[in-house]
Amino acid sequence: VTHIVVDPMTRIEGHLRIEAEIEGGVVTDAWSSSTMFRGIELILQGRDPRDAWVFAQRICGVCTTVHAIASIRAVENAIGASPPPNARLLRNLIMAAQCVHDHVIHFYHLHALDWVDLLSALSADPAAASELMRSISEWPRSEPSYFASVQARLQSLASSGQLGLFANAYFGHPAYQLPPEANLIALAHYLEALDFQREFITLHAVLGGKNPHLQSFLVGGMATPVDPSEPAAITPATLEQLRGLIATAVDFVRQVYLPDLLLIASHYKEWSSHGSGVGNYLVYGDYPLSDEPDAALFFMPGVILDRNLDLVLPVDGSKITEAVTRSWYRYAAGDDQELHPSEGETTPEYTGPTPPYDRLDTDGKYSWLKSPRYDGKPMEVGPLARVLVAYASGHERVRTLVDDALGHLGLERAALCSTLGRVLARGIETLILAEKMRDWVDELAAHIDAGDLQIHDASRWEPASWPAEARGAGFHEAPRGALGHWVNIVDGAIERYQCVVPSTWNAGPRGVAGELGPYEAALLGTPVADTDKPLEILRTVHSFDPCMACAVHLFDASGNALAEVKVQ
Amino acid sequence: VTASAPGPSRHGPPYRAVVLGLGNVLCSDDGAGVVAVQRLRQDYLIPDDVLALDGGTLGLSLLPHVCDAGHLLILDAISARAAPGSVLRFDGDAVGAVLSERLSVHQVGVADLLVAARWLDRSPRRVALLGVVAASTALGFGCSAAVEAQLPRLVRAAARELDLRESGAGP
Repeated sequence: VTHIVVDPMTRIEGHLRIEAEIEGGVVTDAWSSSTMFRGIELILQGRDPRDAWVFAQRICGVCTTVHAIASIRAVENAIGASPPPNARLLRNLIMAAQCVHDHVIHFYHLHALDWVDLLSALSADPAAASELMRSISEWPRSEPSYFASVQARLQSLASSGQLGLFANAYFGHPAYQLPPEANLIALAHYLEALDFQREFITLHAVLGGKNPHLQSFLVGGMATPVDPSEPAAITPATLEQLRGLIATAVDFVRQVYLPDLLLIASHYKEWSSHGSGVGNYLVYGDYPLSDEPDAALFFMPGVILDRNLDLVLPVDGSKITEAVTRSWYRYAAGDDQELHPSEGETTPEYTGPTPPYDRLDTDGKYSWLKSPRYDGKPMEVGPLARVLVAYASGHERVRTLVDDALGHLGLERAALCSTLGRVLARGIETLILAEKMRDWVDELAAHIDAGDLQIHDASRWEPASWPAEARGAGFHEAPRGALGHWVNIVDGAIERYQCVVPSTWNAGPRGVAGELGPYEAALLGTPVADTDKPLEILRTVHSFDPCMACAVHLFDASGNALAEVKVQ
Repeated sequence: VTASAPGPSRHGPPYRAVVLGLGNVLCSDDGAGVVAVQRLRQDYLIPDDVLALDGGTLGLSLLPHVCDAGHLLILDAISARAAPGSVLRFDGDAVGAVLSERLSVHQVGVADLLVAARWLDRSPRRVALLGVVAASTALGFGCSAAVEAQLPRLVRAAARELDLRESGAGP
């Protein structure tokens, strides 16, 4: 018998590495690095732009759909294709479902354990948990016997060493502050959320959109027919199914996710004064509400600078640049340049230490992420940026939900610029998006009733209909924030392709002038009670919803290693 | 990269077998499992009670396809002290061991997917992994020559395990 040693394969999600210096129990400096090269730009060169989205959706293991839509929009923008109204509605529904699904997974399955101590749930009183649950929500699954059964399941898995997903959480850490009953409620909903997401994402299959990868997108529209007389197409019966799934989502978010969020937040209010970050916010805007080129967007676009939460500036795409001064790339005209993505370059040049290493050269280049900037400034993107822009722009539903949440917690609007604010904003936007999906189904139904079955603009499908040279940009407000793809097409083939993704905006390194990126800035001042278990650092990093696994490395002021934590 | 097969109907019966190809096709051999499942669909008849899926690197989003499966067969690239292209088979708990190491507890991968199914009391009845030893996972579309040469073995092994008949469409 041959002895075989098996190691895991590393997936493209890549690796986020945080190095931080700790002095007097707080973070005094921080560096955010991606240690994995992603070079989709190079893979796409020379390909047929109509196929680009199929490749683009593999850029990131967990962000597939969002890259597909950004790519499709960039190519449509370049060649002048106009997807018809039904395609807009189907796309809105598919992307919104993705966002709702991702936010629920993020809250319960990726971020909750930063706040919830599951082992404490073992000592909860199920009757008291039931009473607490009934005081915050109408959700029917709130019997004492239900919470007792969840507790029993936890006990049996814990005693057989099968905590699995939870195995590396920091159980018993002093920074956990929820009472046992709140921890038990959160565990019950962790499990319910698994069931919810499993059911809800079938919405993509119903739309023929994704199973499990997207297949129904098409440059110029959609590939899924809308036709009441065709059983394999989207019919009035399909729309009824969608309405059912959306109603389930609205109920779950309203009666489970948001009450849990407010319950947890009420025990962690001090996190509204940690993790503030750069204070600049960028939203491209998304979810068109009609079909004109300048249609209003449900996620409103805008720029907020220097935490001036009452002033929303318009987005000017020409102000977006990327620098590689601190990144492992070379620019032809010099590494002090800042290039617009339509002129962007991807020439890797690794100058970092040979693995395994203890420390990156944080005085030099230290990341595979570039440094995106807007008008030279680092910008935070994502749910918090969107909620702040929508609030200041007068979005009624956002205002109501934000004011309710802040009132409940006794916080001012400025407190949103924080770790806690990011988590609140994500929950609030999940609800408004789930609610809005109902309107898009109704609109689609009205089109079908009126006999409008068009889903594709084929007028620009043939490369012969394109100009010899074409440039385009495509944008999407992905769950994690503003996403842009830029494409240059020459003689029917991709000549240049650049993506600026949300995690690059948020997790990118220092820029040309040494100014910190959003993660780096947000970590300054974060308290760390136990350097072996930097739970507080994870809270802030996770509040941004990174799409990469995270390792944290801590050093004291003189540069001596304090801890190396690979658990994310 | 091609489109995926149609998926399960929401309330249909559980599948006798689900074969899940995993990995990233933009990272050369890392995508071997995905390429293998695509070849399987091309070269063999997939009956109604078998689901052959390109799972990519989707992690927890694959939960609907894994729950209640009779036999879950995972095709994936692995790293092992064996020649690149070697095809190895793992069963039961060994699958968890092969796939359990992950970059983080919160990066929900395949091992977590199996744990999540267990939490829901909807585990597949049987789990096996057919792995091909990777030569390179560098950025690039398409497998290395060493892995490409052995992919037919991986595909045949999967077909045998699932009792599939050749479609005649293959080479």
